[in-house]
Amino acid sequence: MRQNIENEVIKIIARHKKLDLAAITSDSSLVELGLSSLDAITIMYDLEELFDVEVPNETLTQLRTVNDIVDGISRLASESD
Amino acid sequence: MPVPVVVTGLGCVSALGHTADHFWDAICNGETGIRSLTDLPLESLKLKIGAQIPNYDPLHYFSHEELPYLDKFSQYAIIAAREAIASAGLETIDIQNSACIVGTGCGGKETDEETYQQLYKEGKKRAHPLTIPKGMPSAAAVQVSMQMGISGPVFSVASACASAAHAVAPALAMIRSGLVDVAVVIGTDAPFTYGLIKAWEGLRVLSPDTCRPFSKDRSGMVLGEGAGAVVLESLVHARKRGADIYAELAGCGMSADAGHITDPSVAGAAKAIEAALTDASINHADVDYVNAHGTGTKVNDAMETQALHRVFGGHAGQLMVSGTKSMHGHPLGAAGALELVATVLAIKNGIVPPTANFTEAGEGCDLDYVPNQAREIKIKTAISNSFAFGGLNAVLAVRSVE
Repeated sequence: MRQNIENEVIKIIARHKKLDLAAITSDSSLVELGLSSLDAITIMYDLEELFDVEVPNETLTQLRTVNDIVDGISRLASESD
Repeated sequence: MPVPVVVTGLGCVSALGHTADHFWDAICNGETGIRSLTDLPLESLKLKIGAQIPNYDPLHYFSHEELPYLDKFSQYAIIAAREAIASAGLETIDIQNSACIVGTGCGGKETDEETYQQLYKEGKKRAHPLTIPKGMPSAAAVQVSMQMGISGPVFSVASACASAAHAVAPALAMIRSGLVDVAVVIGTDAPFTYGLIKAWEGLRVLSPDTCRPFSKDRSGMVLGEGAGAVVLESLVHARKRGADIYAELAGCGMSADAGHITDPSVAGAAKAIEAALTDASINHADVDYVNAHGTGTKVNDAMETQALHRVFGGHAGQLMVSGTKSMHGHPLGAAGALELVATVLAIKNGIVPPTANFTEAGEGCDLDYVPNQAREIKIKTAISNSFAFGGLNAVLAVRSVE
């Protein structure tokens, strides 16, 4: 499940930022990937739609790496199971 | 020096009441118009609070025959226009050749959403024929011109949160050039519709509790609704007819950030403020009061403070800066109009409105924000800032008339 979420997060970031999949790892820093706050909101929108979860606004300011996003979505997805 | 233009009439309908007097009394008392939302399907919305107009009954202002043509944003525009024109002591015959410019960010959302719901959700085969004339962004301008008998230059202006302030620019230009003697400038928006609220939720900039401009614990903006209207005329025309003059609309400055679609820029905001001061021939050190854009978001309030420092330098510490969205919410395209009304009355009455809900100053917010209590103090020169999404900036300069 977590690996699936990680794959989808990376795919969505790659699509939004026009990056190669290989350029993004779970440790990648969101700032270094060039994600602005608006990028973060639009990526979250896609993830919320895909995994049917609600990501609270406060969480967004705490995200630093791809791992943070994967952890957050995994937690929300398992809570709603 | 351009032809002096003055404000001779004011009107507004907002979360703080149905008239400019109610509005002014409320902001002088630091009262909040931010309340729990009503008349909306709250169980399906994350948003629970907003600055809605209290006790609003359209039939109090319009007949059954008129209402089918009037989206809420048109209703609010007409109510504010009626009050402003009456307060200016102008009859229909006086304003028929005047201009009327209406700033709106959203247009007739309620009308559009109603029709789209019928088509997409209910599967209806046809759209109501009044959808376009009622919902189009220029509908409010059309309806004001029809109701008030204005047949001069009439049109609508859109720049999201700066729409009303931008609407002043062509009005000022037309009066200065002699094209018209009088212009009614209105800002109106009615954003409390299901679809639009959902859209705002998507941006993640709305506060869950209240609007606290410049405070450390500020958590975003609060949506509002309503309309503000001012009557502008040349000083010569106003004096000739013995009009009461509130203040001088001394200038307007505009700029675009040409940067980010939502994040504001210090340089862009500073450019608009400088442009307003230049247009109004106002020295930096003469500005007493700033009615801030002050939305209560982390980014705007910090950026705006920096812009004020950049423009005013050492004088920034002497400015009084208040964020009245803390009381009337953020009514989008109407904001600039409500804030112009507040700024004009601050000069006229010698009372500076407070920034309500202020707790402690946020990081990088180090100016005098007139926290929580209005201040009785004679002011001569003020600016009102509007900095919209996408970096469309408009700043109005207002000066007392001796």
